Amino acid sequence: MGERVFAVLGVFAGPDALLDAASKLEGRGVGKLEAYTPYPVHGLGEALALRRSPLAGMVMVMGTLGTAAAFLFQWWMNAYDYPIVVGGKPLASWQAFVPIMFEVTVLFSAFTAWLGAVFLLCRLPGLWHPMLSSSSMPKLTRDRFALSIESQGRDFDAEATREALRDAGALETEVVRFPPAPKPASLTLLLGLAGAGALACVVAGLATYWTIKVFPTLPPMSRMLQQPRLGAQRSSSVFAGSAGFAPVAEGTVARGRLPYPFKTPEEAAVLGNPLPRTKAVLAEGKRRFDTVCRVCHGPLADGKGTLTKAYGASPADLRTRRYQAFPDGSVYHAIMSGKNAMPSFAKALTEDERWSIIHYLRALQRAADAKDSDLP
Amino acid sequence: MAAETLFAGPSTAAGLDDQVLAVPESRPPLPWWLAFACAASLAGLGLACMAYTVYTGIGAWGNNRPVVWAFDIINFVFWIGIGHAGTLISAILLMFRARWRNAISRFAEAMTIFAVMVAGMFPLIHLGRPWVNFWLFPYPNQRGLWPNFRSPLMWDVFAVSTYFSVSLLFWYLGLIPDIASMRDRARGWRRNLYTVLSLGWRGAASHWLHYEKAYTLLAGLATGLVLSVHSVVSFDFAVSLVPGWHMTIFPPYFVVGAIFSGFAMVVLGLVVVRSTMGMGNIVTDRHLDLANKVVLGTSCLMGYSYLLEGFTAWYSMNPYIHHTFGNYVHGTYGWAGWVAVICNVLVPQLYWSNRARNSLPVMVGVSLSALAGMWFERFVIIVISLHQDYLPSSWGLYKPTPVDFGILLGSFGMFFSMVLLFARVLPVVATTELKASLPGSQPRRGPPYGLRPPPPARPESEPGQPRRAVRPEDRHG
Ligand code: HEC
Repeated sequence: MGERVFAVLGVFAGPDALLDAASKLEGRGVGKLEAYTPYPVHGLGEALALRRSPLAGMVMVMGTLGTAAAFLFQWWMNAYDYPIVVGGKPLASWQAFVPIMFEVTVLFSAFTAWLGAVFLLCRLPGLWHPMLSSSSMPKLTRDRFALSIESQGRDFDAEATREALRDAGALETEVVRFPPAPKPASLTLLLGLAGAGALACVVAGLATYWTIKVFPTLPPMSRMLQQPRLGAQRSSSVFAGSAGFAPVAEGTVARGRLPYPFKTPEEAAVLGNPLPRTKAVLAEGKRRFDTVCRVCHGPLADGKGTLTKAYGASPADLRTRRYQAFPDGSVYHAIMSGKNAMPSFAKALTEDERWSIIHYLRALQRAADAKDSDLP
Repeated sequence: MAAETLFAGPSTAAGLDDQVLAVPESRPPLPWWLAFACAASLAGLGLACMAYTVYTGIGAWGNNRPVVWAFDIINFVFWIGIGHAGTLISAILLMFRARWRNAISRFAEAMTIFAVMVAGMFPLIHLGRPWVNFWLFPYPNQRGLWPNFRSPLMWDVFAVSTYFSVSLLFWYLGLIPDIASMRDRARGWRRNLYTVLSLGWRGAASHWLHYEKAYTLLAGLATGLVLSVHSVVSFDFAVSLVPGWHMTIFPPYFVVGAIFSGFAMVVLGLVVVRSTMGMGNIVTDRHLDLANKVVLGTSCLMGYSYLLEGFTAWYSMNPYIHHTFGNYVHGTYGWAGWVAVICNVLVPQLYWSNRARNSLPVMVGVSLSALAGMWFERFVIIVISLHQDYLPSSWGLYKPTPVDFGILLGSFGMFFSMVLLFARVLPVVATTELKASLPGSQPRRGPPYGLRPPPPARPESEPGQPRRAVRPEDRHG
């Protein structure tokens, strides 16, 4: 029993006796007072003049930090670093961030409360604390209460302290000593521990790499990559003629490619222009006219294009009275079937493009013989 | 007056220890082994079905367009709901100083943790590729992608993982002093194990101050959390545009349903614990009576929610929602809607009778009916709403496969295996908390334990005053 004294313990039967003794000894300068009880006893903190727990403040600070961090991270990730537009909502739509802000606040606060109380404020785990080897401990986690006076210097008189506790009403007293100091660890043990730690780190790293990088590529995880599909320049066993696409069913009509049954401009005269005469349509008509018709018919459709004599034919002057009276359907027929030296443009233009060119052509015709009243 | 006694257990702290802590110290009896064997084999069946799903792919289930959410999400919502009663009992009732909770809080909290664990598996296997589940979390990756935080599914990830972590912290904090008591009763390797698990807790007065503060703070946080978790789960539905899901009533309606089914499960568990572990004196008839009253109250709220849901549908003047509601009661799956209404709203009305609330067979029956009813309620919400929505050309029927049923049964097996293990390994009753509220456990001077001021001293029977027994919980001790 040569070890240093940690404290002297007085055991009491009930909370009242404990409180009485605590208030009797508090402030008498006998040493640092501490009590051990099986459950929280109210009024004990005041009797021992313990400071109040600062935990609530810590939790509030960390919780606020959690709210702010959650907001900043969500904003940064979804509005700044990798902007995702969802349903046309603004990128920094904070309302949608609220649920996660709340959860992170709670998470930060809860971990602060737990870790702060247990590790920071109580300084647990204390697996080698002298009290754990005290013979009174089993009583103190069961139904007894103890007041301890801790030794704080060399001139601690255990016997006198025992007496003081007995005077204060302790049923029994115990001198709690520090457990015998463990032998200093040998160098080989330390090296062995360090080696084992390093090995554990390497194994953990490899295991993480394996689960994230390798494992998903093994069967059956890789099955998703093994679905049948056609590589470039490969023949398919699925469709007739080794084609990669299913052949188009007979009688299929593609959108905008209705069959064109007319043979002469007179027959086609029954067609009417389906497009409205709007700015957009006229603009589209000009764009297509300038691309396709202008080389031959000229920018004003007066038949003075940039073709040389070598072409051998003269494109019609489309501003003449004859063509002003030409029905839309007949112009359409000229585009579809061509005429003599004019080739067909059925393949080069879609249906809408053809009709918009006709709108534009009408505008050019009117501009050739414009009246004052045509000015806007 | 017997049913009125809240606590009839040992009147001394030592007696409590001897009764509660002796359970984990002894070998389990034969009935326990039988129950555990049943639960564990069910769990094994479930795990096998899950392994089969992961191996072959989600095609092993009945899910397919248009019913892409089915048993997996029903089970998820169901089990998350079961967990809610535990947090409610341990946190909200603590905040309200309803001290009848002390005897049942530990068990209910454990149930929360196990239920959330079971629930958490479902979204993971529902992913189809569970081995990349870490994609759910925002971590810097070489693809330069971040998850979409505007999605309720992302909120769900955060809500459920926060809920699990906080419940675990709360539960473990409560266990620390109890494990310290077990440590001081044990010898050999058990003593070392409990020393580590209790973190060397020594019950110092300066520690209790921080401990109690932390406990109250965690209770406050868990209170907010328990209301938020099922609300967030309901957002998975309510934020979408599916007719029958897109309703503002969903969050409160889900929370109430969760508490309802959770309490039913707590009652079932307590009945079993009481009768098989001889805890009838600690978990009294009065506890079950109070829990059953909660079941009755939440059942009425469920009825109100159903009515309000119907009213919202009618008032919306939206033909699609009208159609979905028609399906709830007379479509292909209309029978499920009636099962939900009967089991959740009509059957618990038995509890208006005192006799029914205190009869074991009745409460077991009503609790089972509530659990079945709540499972079918989620079936109604998910499968019926999905199988016919806006576009008639994409309507379709849903038919579960044997694998679906195997996983459902397995989830019950896993839950009960964990509950049974817990009941034999750790103290099922929060002994420290009970000790602190035993009569005479607190000093006569100074403030009473809890917030309530001590009741004015009154003789047992005063002339002119109705005679009223002084119940232990009325005294501050
Ligand atoms: C390769 C030069 C060339 C191009 C390009 C060209 N045309 Fe022609 N177009 C001609 C020639 C040549 C004629 C006269 C044919 C004839 O009368 O023998 C003509 C005649 C016409 C006629 C009168 C047909 C008739 O029945 O009298 C119309 C209308 C016409 N073109 C419209 C167009 C339109 C619209 C475009 C643009 C889509 C266009 N052309 C593009 C060369 C061209």
